[in-house]
Amino acid sequence: MVFDLAWLPQLTQGLLLTLQITTACIAMGIVLGILLALGRVYGNRLISTPCSIYIQIFRGTPLLVQLLMVYYGLPSWGIYPSAFISGVLALGLNTGAYQAEYLRGAIQAVNQGQLMAARAIGMSLPQAIRYIVLPQAFRIVIPSWSNELILMVKYSSIVFSVTLLDLMGVGKRIAARNFRYFEVFVVVALFYLVLVFIISQLLRLLEHRARIPGLGEHAEQR
Amino acid sequence: MKIHRAMAGVVVLTMIVLIASGGLVVAKDKYIVASDIPWAPFEMVTVNGEFFGFDLDAIRMIAIVAGFEVEILNTGFDVIIQNVITGKADLGVSGFTITAEREKTIDYSEPYYLSNQAVVIRKDSGLNIITAMAGLGPRKAIGAQNGTTGFYYVEDELKGAGLDIEPKGYEFYPTAILDLVSGRLDAVIQDEPASQSSISAYPDLLTIAGIINTYEYFGFIVAPGDPEGLLPRINEGVSELGLKVVEAPGGAKTLVVTPGSPWDNLLKAYFGPPNDKLEAAWLVCKDLLLVDRDVDAFAKAMAEEASK
Repeated sequence: MVFDLAWLPQLTQGLLLTLQITTACIAMGIVLGILLALGRVYGNRLISTPCSIYIQIFRGTPLLVQLLMVYYGLPSWGIYPSAFISGVLALGLNTGAYQAEYLRGAIQAVNQGQLMAARAIGMSLPQAIRYIVLPQAFRIVIPSWSNELILMVKYSSIVFSVTLLDLMGVGKRIAARNFRYFEVFVVVALFYLVLVFIISQLLRLLEHRARIPGLGEHAEQR
Repeated sequence: MKIHRAMAGVVVLTMIVLIASGGLVVAKDKYIVASDIPWAPFEMVTVNGEFFGFDLDAIRMIAIVAGFEVEILNTGFDVIIQNVITGKADLGVSGFTITAEREKTIDYSEPYYLSNQAVVIRKDSGLNIITAMAGLGPRKAIGAQNGTTGFYYVEDELKGAGLDIEPKGYEFYPTAILDLVSGRLDAVIQDEPASQSSISAYPDLLTIAGIINTYEYFGFIVAPGDPEGLLPRINEGVSELGLKVVEAPGGAKTLVVTPGSPWDNLLKAYFGPPNDKLEAAWLVCKDLLLVDRDVDAFAKAMAEEASK
């Protein structure tokens, strides 16, 4: 087993790209996920059906296929997204579908009586969703949403296939030169592991801070 | 009685292990050949998914004259060496340039082909070989396949020399060409025959800006130390097919092809005609190679069919 400190600067560069892509696609997925979830729960059939179809398609096809369709497929329609844009777009469109489903579950977990009460005191439906349902749904969704965030950190490794030098891409490039596949990928794996550990600790903190009193963790102790 | 039975069991078990391990030492009759397909005209695939091309037919012909069987395994180029080292494949046949760096980890056969690197650009780009390599195009991006000598040329000789360019590595060669066509790259570096082949796929769009004479010899690769004793059989097979490697004083090697030999005909067949003609010719001739196992007749027929 031979390790080389010279790998670290390159891998750190790769780590930065992995972080950028993950952050961008998660942000895109949150916006998309909220719209899709609201469409599915509160939309009439004209709105909820397209939302369901979108979710079915993006959950039912491999992420790699979606990425290759964006990067190599769109140019045949006259659209030339860069590798970075393609990566963010494909990952964001995909995670949007998953986040929508998590959020839908959370919205439906908020007691229906609260919505009725809000309407009874004169709130419009959008107001009730905005001020009563969503703030609670966001807090309920945090645990499953943390899962999705951690998954996206790791799924982002497929962007090496569209020439991007993320952690995985850098690792592959180093290993192709020195043939130390095992050692290089052990280091790459450690980078991911540490990154995921830090993220999951931050999310645990967020989950604890944002918990609804009387719901979820520590509820039994009260 | 019981002890005897146990002893008999041990003896039988030992014999089984001995026979089984003996079977591993005896030369296998079928070897796995790892190759990155497609990389025309060396590695190609028909519409029905059958593998052909100069390299693949050459190794099949070598196997026939040397008396073994091959099975072709399609993998990414940059993992072929790893597959050979770890025994997932016995041979690497994929237009491998013999380099000192690679020779540290694997063993090569005698050289069987001499190649140089070609620089492919878009016709309408207004670039030439110097401006393209200097990163003067709008993208400053030069593409090549991961793990190839072309890619290392871009990284070491261009980027390494301080030029303002972005080397872009691709898993598969055709996708690099696709990105050149769609304008994400200014140039693609690849071995000359493969570049010629990609030009023939986009004759109106792409052109070869120039050739960088790197004088690279291709060799077949095996695991370090050649544990299966394949290299002597391959080298003899190549020479029997009509390719001699002559070493000149000073260490330079010259590849001498016997005119009219199967090797000569295979070269004539594969270097020149466009890909669709090669595929049509191979489909007509393949039974001579795969069923009749007649290397002479196959190479002759391929040369004739492909030039039609």
